[in-house]
Amino acid sequence: MSERKKLVEVEDLTVQFGSKRHPFTAVDKVSFHIFQGETFGLVGESGSGKTTIGRAIIRIHPTTGGKILFDGKQINGKISRALDREVTQRIQMIFQDPMSSLNERAKVDYIVSEGLYSSGHQHLSAQERQEKVAKALSDVGLLPEFASRFPHEFSGGQRQRIGIARSLVMEPDFIIADEPISALDVSIRAQVLNLLSQLQRERNLTYLFIAHDLSVVRFICNRIAVIHKGKIVELADSEELFLHPLHPYTRALLSAIPQPDPIAERNKKLLVYDPSCHHYSDTNVPTWQEILPGHFILASDEEMAQYQKQL
Amino acid sequence: MEQTKNVILSIQDLDVKFTLRSQVLHAIRGVSLDVYQGESLAIVGESGSGKSVFVKCMMGLLDANGYIDGGKILYNGQDLTKYKTDKDWLKIRGKEIAMVFQDPMTSLNPLKTIGKQLQEAVELHQGLHGQAAKKAVLEVLSDVGIDDPERRYKQYPHEFSGGMRQRVVIAIAIACRPKILICDEPTTALDVTIQAQILELIKAMQKKYNLTTIYITHDLGVVANVADRIAVMYAGDIVEVGSCDEVFYDPKHPYTWALLSSLPQLGVKGEDLYAIQGTPPNLFYEVHGDAFAPRNPKALKIDFVEKPPFFEVSPTHKARTWLLDPRAPKVEPPEHIRLLREKGVKIHV
Amino acid sequence: MKNLGFRPLRNVKTDALGDSILESMKQPPLSDEEAFSFAEFDPESAERGGYSGYSYWGSTLRAFFQNKIAVFFLIVMVTMLLFTFIQPYLPGQKDPLLIHNDEWGLPLNNVPPGEEFWMGTNSIGQDLWARIWAGTRTSLFIGFTVALVEAVVGILVGVLWGYVRKLDFFFTELYNVLDNIPQTLLLILISYVLRPGVSTIIFALSLTGWLGMARFIRNQIIIIRDRDYNLASRCLGIPTWRIILKNLLPYLVSVITMRMALAIPSAIGNEVFVTYIGIGLPVDTPSLGNLIQTGRSLMTVASLRYQLYFPVLVLVVITVSFYIIGNAFADAADPKNHVK
Repeated sequence: MSERKKLVEVEDLTVQFGSKRHPFTAVDKVSFHIFQGETFGLVGESGSGKTTIGRAIIRIHPTTGGKILFDGKQINGKISRALDREVTQRIQMIFQDPMSSLNERAKVDYIVSEGLYSSGHQHLSAQERQEKVAKALSDVGLLPEFASRFPHEFSGGQRQRIGIARSLVMEPDFIIADEPISALDVSIRAQVLNLLSQLQRERNLTYLFIAHDLSVVRFICNRIAVIHKGKIVELADSEELFLHPLHPYTRALLSAIPQPDPIAERNKKLLVYDPSCHHYSDTNVPTWQEILPGHFILASDEEMAQYQKQL
Repeated sequence: MEQTKNVILSIQDLDVKFTLRSQVLHAIRGVSLDVYQGESLAIVGESGSGKSVFVKCMMGLLDANGYIDGGKILYNGQDLTKYKTDKDWLKIRGKEIAMVFQDPMTSLNPLKTIGKQLQEAVELHQGLHGQAAKKAVLEVLSDVGIDDPERRYKQYPHEFSGGMRQRVVIAIAIACRPKILICDEPTTALDVTIQAQILELIKAMQKKYNLTTIYITHDLGVVANVADRIAVMYAGDIVEVGSCDEVFYDPKHPYTWALLSSLPQLGVKGEDLYAIQGTPPNLFYEVHGDAFAPRNPKALKIDFVEKPPFFEVSPTHKARTWLLDPRAPKVEPPEHIRLLREKGVKIHV
Repeated sequence: MKNLGFRPLRNVKTDALGDSILESMKQPPLSDEEAFSFAEFDPESAERGGYSGYSYWGSTLRAFFQNKIAVFFLIVMVTMLLFTFIQPYLPGQKDPLLIHNDEWGLPLNNVPPGEEFWMGTNSIGQDLWARIWAGTRTSLFIGFTVALVEAVVGILVGVLWGYVRKLDFFFTELYNVLDNIPQTLLLILISYVLRPGVSTIIFALSLTGWLGMARFIRNQIIIIRDRDYNLASRCLGIPTWRIILKNLLPYLVSVITMRMALAIPSAIGNEVFVTYIGIGLPVDTPSLGNLIQTGRSLMTVASLRYQLYFPVLVLVVITVSFYIIGNAFADAADPKNHVK
């Protein structure tokens, strides 16, 4: 089997906030990689560090430790201006809240073409920019006449699509989608998810899809990592994760997914995750282990034995 | 769940309008709905469907530029549309009808301790004072699942997480001992695990205090867990009403099909999710015929011209669509909805 | 029940479809078969549904003009401004510095308001009407210039202070030092050291005036700096100057305008004060300050009080107008007030 190309590699990434004396560790020695062309899901609750990881990759947040490699090159810490420009063009981000992620005082035209004003794109004429904007808008299913309007004239779903058009215009290879549908109505989520899938097929994009809702992630992701309080606790192919969820936190997340099936819901038992159920101590330390091919879990040796029995 | 057929709240032909920048927005277009005592009713709709406006009318919380242009809200023999002053509404708010809002961060006073806020509600609505009030507060705090109530009593809202804050908001609402509890998207701002816990909590509270609950949400998945009856709203009007099982397993209105189909839980990997095209209509404009028609690929010509009346499917289930008219062509709901009926949805182990 | 008596607007495209169907139904009454057949589905018209037509500046202006009092004062202020500048060119106006003598060569001093001198003359025989308008011109000029300098320097400093994190410490310390210098003392000192005149006053007033604006802008910038849309711009590689210009400043236009509107009467007030205590403009440059000062010294004599009333009246009208207009504009610019 040919070796798939790893587009993004995160090794022992640590991100801390706060002062040196009272640091708060948002991301604690996280490691994973993303293959080219896949959609990688990162699922966790608020405060778990998932957004911080996304922002660290796109260089909005400085990192405290570890490495982030993009296409083989290290992109965290101090990098050359040329590499910085490359990263800016090849990695893009879609934000969570369509109400605050667009510049209210600028027309959609400017918002979508904003990236084209950065260095590296200054050679474009106004005409060329306009064409790119029109194309980006129609790629996301919006009418070209929307370019002359302001964001507040649009609904949440449309605004999110404008945000997607904005990142598309840069022709990136890798898009970090930071909870792109959490703030949308359930019926609008489908539009945006379909759009993201379609764009991936057409342009061979790679996605890091950050979410707190496993049901959505299952639909769109190839592999999923579950993160809890700054540590990744389980990582597997999406179907495998749903078929054999091992870590108690993953199981709790799964049991919380609302199902549109009244009979099933009434008979459902809600699992609540209690971190103390692991009984970790200085001697009983969890490590990152591969329990099945491609299925990793953070567990101590005792727990590994238990999980093996369950399978 | 058995239903006592007492109607506790009856809304009849309600019309609500807003004046916005010298134009009139017709937000609620002639809605009628009965709420039965002891039941759990869910009102489901997209943003802009009017569901929040609808319940705000029941407590007199309409924005200053909104007004009721027709219809009645009957509660306890009174017509609530006649209530104009705060003095009138004080008879209803809290005591009879209490509300839990979406955003727990802004629902609590950041400058007062949780205990103090709860105590105010208890003193006002249960008539207790001093030590008796404090005891009631501690009781209700542990009722809603907050550990160590003694310590939490003295804490401020910012020391609580989002889920816990929502529990406190629910506690305040319960402390009023209302007959009807309205929950306006109580879990939308919360993570999915906390969401599930809060819904369980509301269900437990409903049972314990014999409440009637009205849920407002845009998420049908959430509703399956908690609702006895479901009303689907679109563009200021109710398009389908039925029991929970009926709406999920045998929906009749194309909008309900669309809502159900667009849930990712029902999606098939590798295929596109069913997405409803376009956006809801602008209610500044008059709506001709069925409001959902422009977005409905299976619309009939008459949908654009004449507003469909309610067609009864069963004594408890009716839908406002021309597809139920005997003259209409037979249209089957999409495949995954039929499969839901037959196989159910199994997501986890 | 409010009845506004106008038709809601119509949605052209979907109504067109409805109309055409209605039309086709009006012809030989459509069979049930026809009515119940499928209509063509147009995804584009579905997309058009949500258009709202809201314009921020449009609504701001509309909200402002709904405020009758503000509009009244706006008219008053504009009229006064126009008149101030047209006045010298009207026929029959006298030179403000000219001393008028009667037929015996004696100065026509302290003449009460009458036909010849509409506001009377002062103690050395100069026409008060001409002096008041000249004084208003001077004071307004000072006020506007100081407000402008405050705005320019204040915005520049405020933006850098708020947006560039590394400069925050430096500017905060600088602000703490400068803010503690009593403005009055500085005014007096500078007016004492440099030759009294219009440019001295402008210099002295601008020296510390920008601090308030800078701090205000800095606070606003900190509030909006980390909003998602600014992060998005950074992700797109937009240089800082463009983010400031296109993302941040447009949000601040309304607050900047409001502050400038309030800075004008404040500067005029300061000029009046400095001149009043004797270290502002010299007497031969009429300004509201020295007019009021002269008038005040004659206050005790009933027949001469007009020399105080007139300049004070003008000052009050200017100050009140600017304050009201500034505050009304701030209210109008707040999107929460755009619902009526």
